[in-house]
Amino acid sequence: MDRRRIPGPEASVKPIIERADDDDTLHVVPLKTIDDIRQDGRSLDKIRKAWLAPGIITQANGSAYIEFQGTKLACAVYGPRATKISAFSGKGSLNCEIKFAPFSCQKRRSPQRDPQEKELSQLLFEALAPAVRLDLLPKSTIDVFVTILQNDGNGSCLAASITAASVALADAGIEMLDQVAACSACYIDDEIWIDCTLREEEHAQGSLVLSCMPSLNEVTHMLQSGEVTVSGTIRAIEQCTEACSKIYLIMGNCLSESVRRKLEKDNALDGLNKKEG
Amino acid sequence: MPVEIVTPGQRLGHAQDYAAGPGTYVRGDFLYASVVGVKRVLVETDKKTRYLTVSKEKVQSAVPTVGNIVRGFDLKCMFIDPQHINVINIPGLLFYQITGKVIRINQREAVVSIMVIGNAPCGEDFQGIIRKQDVRQFDRDKVKISDSFRPGDIVRAKVISLGDARSYYLSTADNDFGGCAMYPISWEEMQCPKMKEIERRKCAKP
Repeated sequence: MDRRRIPGPEASVKPIIERADDDDTLHVVPLKTIDDIRQDGRSLDKIRKAWLAPGIITQANGSAYIEFQGTKLACAVYGPRATKISAFSGKGSLNCEIKFAPFSCQKRRSPQRDPQEKELSQLLFEALAPAVRLDLLPKSTIDVFVTILQNDGNGSCLAASITAASVALADAGIEMLDQVAACSACYIDDEIWIDCTLREEEHAQGSLVLSCMPSLNEVTHMLQSGEVTVSGTIRAIEQCTEACSKIYLIMGNCLSESVRRKLEKDNALDGLNKKEG
Repeated sequence: MPVEIVTPGQRLGHAQDYAAGPGTYVRGDFLYASVVGVKRVLVETDKKTRYLTVSKEKVQSAVPTVGNIVRGFDLKCMFIDPQHINVINIPGLLFYQITGKVIRINQREAVVSIMVIGNAPCGEDFQGIIRKQDVRQFDRDKVKISDSFRPGDIVRAKVISLGDARSYYLSTADNDFGGCAMYPISWEEMQCPKMKEIERRKCAKP
């Protein structure tokens, strides 16, 4: 018996979950219509509707919540704090961790850290490290924790993690060269599908996750899997970069909006204090 | 007055027109923002240099840096911009002076927990040590740590080195640095405001 977690009552019954896409229906409902409109009503080169909010976790130095329809995750940034490891380093270190919530996927995820989470954490670090000015933070550590609340596409989870972590770092006031925006794509039947859902990913021959700094026009990280032609990859990179600059706009808007709101709040407070004084 | 809010990576201006202040960096011919915040232009009164800075209203937490090399700003000069007269005092500029609490002493050094850097609170626990030879400028060989600091003292000091793996090296070898919680009655003695007791300390100029 698992003593560390709260078990359900002994007389509990499994919930009945309505499954929309059973194996039979998978072949019946096509992924897209003849004129290239996907099931959720967007074309192949469009990202899903995004919602981004910085500063939602009050205990953290900086935080962000991001939603690409089915993909939902929260990111918290702590630090810079003094490094506990005894070796001297003139540069700061970045510690990234991605965690799937137990309820995030179709199958239950174990609360223990698994290899996929380890790999994603490493990828998140590789994508963020070139953008963060770690040379300004000697002997310090920045901790980035991402919790995936709902997984609708593994590629989009990683892309959203990178985007959210970059917003959270900016929210924490950590110096960066540029914001990192990331976007995923899948290769399905010689076509490039941007920002795929979990169901679309099942049909993919390959995938690409691209993270870049749109303002500096630099790519920080690229991850490709599957079998693709060179021209296909080049096309995918171009489309991803385009999508990234759209995401970058959303990031910039929501960050400056949050600062503006805070300034207005402070000004209102100042006004009140002056009235009372 | 409308304020301009910028985000990291945003291009702020040409590098030949402005010098990079806190929260910005130079890359190629341009100045970019490196934090989220309000863009401001600061001008030194005695010099003609115009600094571009980006800062949030409140600095969340700071990390100690050596001297004023990294932040490159001397607070003794006033910054007044003709267009932004309301911007003179920006929190987080004064980075070379720290305020801390002595947590333990031994014959060689005093161990200090750094609490405030400039006037920005230090969110996490950074540890520093004041070595015997860094306590004061004169008679260095006659310094006794126990006559200079006691555990619990609040001291003002400057960061002289990133130090070893564990702690920063601090120094109080200047008239402005030393104990600053009780009343100094001479350079080497302080008086308790309540009990009027006199104890020996390295004093900061009040």
